Amino acid sequence: MLKVNRTVENEKVEISLEGELDTVTAPEFEAELREVISGATSLVLDLEKLEYISSAGLRVLLIAQKAMNQQGEMKVVHVNDSIMDIFEVTGFSEILTIE
Amino acid sequence: MLIRLTGQIDSTNAAQLEQEIMARLDGQEDRSVIFDASELKYISSAGLRVLLRIRKSYPDVRVTDVRSDVYEIFEMTGFTEMMPIEKAYRVVSVEGCEEIGRGANGTIYRIDQDNVVKVYNNADALADIQHEREVAKLALILGIPTAISYDVVKVGDSYGSVFELLNARSFSKILTTEPDKMDWCVKEYIELLKKIHSTLVPEGKLPDMKETVLSWAGFMQDYLPEEAGKKLLAMVEAVPHDDHMIHGDYHTKNVELQDDEVLLIDMDTLAVGHPVFELASMFNAFVGYSELHHEVIESFQGFDFETGTTFWRKSLAAYLGTSCETKIREVEDKARIIGYTRLIRRSIRRNGLETEEGSAEIAFWKERLMELLERTDVLTFSDQEMEIEAVTDNLPEVQAFVKERLDTTNCPPKAKMQIALAVEEIFVNIANYAYAPEKGKAAVRVEVSEEPVTVTITFVDHGVPYDPLAKEDPDTGLPADEREIGGLGIFLTKKIMDDVTYTYKDGQNILTLKKNL
Repeated sequence: MLKVNRTVENEKVEISLEGELDTVTAPEFEAELREVISGATSLVLDLEKLEYISSAGLRVLLIAQKAMNQQGEMKVVHVNDSIMDIFEVTGFSEILTIE
Repeated sequence: MLIRLTGQIDSTNAAQLEQEIMARLDGQEDRSVIFDASELKYISSAGLRVLLRIRKSYPDVRVTDVRSDVYEIFEMTGFTEMMPIEKAYRVVSVEGCEEIGRGANGTIYRIDQDNVVKVYNNADALADIQHEREVAKLALILGIPTAISYDVVKVGDSYGSVFELLNARSFSKILTTEPDKMDWCVKEYIELLKKIHSTLVPEGKLPDMKETVLSWAGFMQDYLPEEAGKKLLAMVEAVPHDDHMIHGDYHTKNVELQDDEVLLIDMDTLAVGHPVFELASMFNAFVGYSELHHEVIESFQGFDFETGTTFWRKSLAAYLGTSCETKIREVEDKARIIGYTRLIRRSIRRNGLETEEGSAEIAFWKERLMELLERTDVLTFSDQEMEIEAVTDNLPEVQAFVKERLDTTNCPPKAKMQIALAVEEIFVNIANYAYAPEKGKAAVRVEVSEEPVTVTITFVDHGVPYDPLAKEDPDTGLPADEREIGGLGIFLTKKIMDDVTYTYKDGQNILTLKKNL
């Protein structure tokens, strides 16, 4: 289960995720994300309530990061410990701008 | 020669009695002696010694019609094992009595507030009664709560055994009159079942259920297509010998609530064997037997078919400790194979093939059996293992199954999450690559070992040989634009597990994950 909350203001997009970003939930989130960031110059991902992420979820974050590198900036905020572990193991802590 | 023993026999009259009897027996052509004890009120050790001395000269001695209090003396002194001593049976009527239980060999009635009688179907049931008493004693000694009969009585032309059973109600009655107690009944019913199945029985004390099921499968050879018959027999043969107890007729009429204690009754089917044999008879009692004509169950259990089916499914889920439909169905299918086999055999032996109704019933069960034989290869199961079609849609079910196993351990939340992650990566990998573009099954097994506490999860599939560990690890130092999208799953798994191994053996990909807690 994944709950996606988003706010879009002009070209600034804020998305908060709640639940699990895994093989089951990632495809839908990917589609939604691609649509919402087209034309955006700023993306903030709030992961405070994200409990779980697998490689399928990391894949979507990487797609977002690559896209935002072309058109603006992306930040990831409120990363909890268990998700941070996964970012560190996979080198995502270096790729993403984490605050 | 028939000799009547009367009144009291003790040291005051024993010597005289001995002389009288010896005198009567002397010179008789017929050397057999029958003592009619119907009027014997008491016998002391002096009297018993008389019997022994007579037996020395006349070995063919029997004592008949012994009152139960006198019988107790014979029993306590070991005389019942030295010579045939027959009780005088109390006569009991069950007319108008409430039927509280019914098994393969008899029916149980409540005769008064404190007592019940089990009336045996077989008119010559003394051996059966003796057998049931023996196995009930054995079960009680091994820690199974049960009632042991204290008296044998005559009921019409049949024999019955009497038990004390105060304020007891069968689970069938509870389910019928208080349907909201369903979950409580399931819990208690399964707790007792698990206790039975974890009880080791000393070798040779109880019959082996596998032998019985083998005979059913053998019987079916004449009624199934050759291939299917052979497969059935081979599957039963492949069930390993198991010395744990099974009840053999474990349905809700045989489980009683007495005050706060749950008691097992009707012990004559007690055996040893694999739990799948027990589940088969449970399936029949709640579903299989009345699957064609749903109303059948009501006359037997009191509750309706829907209640029976719900109770069975909930009980199976509780027994396996899972809510995973796939796992429940997998084990149910194995039970159904043996269940239908038994029902078909039973119907054929009762000349079912000669009646229209019987033939319809047999055809109904046979169709189901054939379909099950087609897609099932083994009858055994483990509650630590599940088999499931390897498609990503089934991931939540696999995760739930693994989580249920871990919930019974002291696995910390972080390790649980890491294990879930590894399970996802491996299962999705199998779903995507093992059988593509076809589909196939994967087995997932969860084992927890003590000291050190280690969780081991094994995945087995029959797909193309593929070692996911052989793939080179991604370079995690690259910047985002140079990183490849994907390919992180196996790498992540290796990093968060303590050990990941792969082997290919007998056409199977075997991948094992280990996490130390």
